[in-house]
Amino acid sequence: MLNSLLSQYTRSLILVAVLLLIVILEVLEVRAAIYPGLLPFFEWARSSSWLGLIGTTYGSIYATVEAVHLLSMAVIGGTVLATDLRLLGVVFRDLPSETLTKGTHKVFSAALISAIATGIFCAAGVGDKVYYMEVFWIKMLALVAGSLFVFLVKQPLLNSMPHDEINPWTIRLLAVTSLLIWFTVAATGRWIGFS
Amino acid sequence: MDNEKKMTDKEITAIGAGVAILGSLLFYWFGQFISTIELLELAYGSLNFFNNPLTF
Amino acid sequence: MINEFLLDFAHWMEAQQYSQMLVAGYYSYSWLEATHVLTLMVSIGSLFIIDFRMLGLILTDVPASKLADRLHKPMIIGFVIMFITGALLVYAKPVETIQSLWFRMKMILLVLAFINAWVFNARMKAASGSWNTDSVAPKSLRNGAIISLVLWCGVVTLGRYIPYDWVDCGITNNTTILWAAGCVEQLNAL
Repeated sequence: MLNSLLSQYTRSLILVAVLLLIVILEVLEVRAAIYPGLLPFFEWARSSSWLGLIGTTYGSIYATVEAVHLLSMAVIGGTVLATDLRLLGVVFRDLPSETLTKGTHKVFSAALISAIATGIFCAAGVGDKVYYMEVFWIKMLALVAGSLFVFLVKQPLLNSMPHDEINPWTIRLLAVTSLLIWFTVAATGRWIGFS
Repeated sequence: MDNEKKMTDKEITAIGAGVAILGSLLFYWFGQFISTIELLELAYGSLNFFNNPLTF
Repeated sequence: MINEFLLDFAHWMEAQQYSQMLVAGYYSYSWLEATHVLTLMVSIGSLFIIDFRMLGLILTDVPASKLADRLHKPMIIGFVIMFITGALLVYAKPVETIQSLWFRMKMILLVLAFINAWVFNARMKAASGSWNTDSVAPKSLRNGAIISLVLWCGVVTLGRYIPYDWVDCGITNNTTILWAAGCVEQLNAL
């Protein structure tokens, strides 16, 4: 009985375990305990690591990497909008949503990798600042949640069967969640610059 | 019965993760919205976005 | 001559009530800037997908002209928002922006990018044959796509440079830069 449940609903059970783990860690205040220990790392990134040194010494390099970060964000935005708005039936209604989901994924992944790489450089240059920003941690949380969501939940489901066999509300939920999560990652990123 | 059969593992995970993430995001943005309104109220004594002490 | 005129125009804008309100508002300037930057995802995002398709990097199984056609509307909406918020950003800080070398270079690239887009569009409509369903577009369209990518990368990069003060009027003494950035007062003082 348990065995068949485990093999049939592995993903669902893992999800429940992960959500439970998050709640337990929160209740036990593990986050508050880990947080102070991270400060030395951020200070090291800012003042001793190669990334931080280059970023703080050469303003023009820093600004150019920021621009690449923005361009990667634009490509992420373009692919996410095209795919998710298609899933919601807003654009490309005459094209199969399977084509768009599959066709944009590679470019999305490449842009995400580029955005993360340039983002690490940008964060290293202001490591001592971002550490104290709530919005930075919100962004990191959203980024991790978004990446796990896309690669472990959304794509596996959408690639596993024809989309018209999936409940339309499930598809809408996936699309809206994906849109909002990448919007959050981008918007909180912009706000890091203002704080 | 037929409906239950159609719900695959991947679909359940998608719904679960979707609800959890979307719920927390909406909660976050709603909180941001409220605190922004409160801050503007504190700053200008009104919700009018353009009610600026400098010019009015 | 044109520099003096632009500077007078900037001073005229700066003296206006709404311009000052935009800068002094608690969030107004940040919101404008955030909207301007985030709309990149709609405008440049759509545009780059079209360019990538021409180069055979994305959605190769979708007819190129169909993709360009369907993405046209979101792209135009994005660019309209970018243009409005961008104009308001200039209006909020007119003197700084008009005397920024980066802003001026960005505007030149923008004009070039729009000319390229116009030529590209005309070429796309004129192109005939089986290219539409080919995974890679013909050479002239590929060149147009590469030029478009380069120009828009330049526009975004220069836009990112605007808030930095490396070559601001008070900082540099190079007469060519001062002239190109329109630093009228500094030039007169030299």
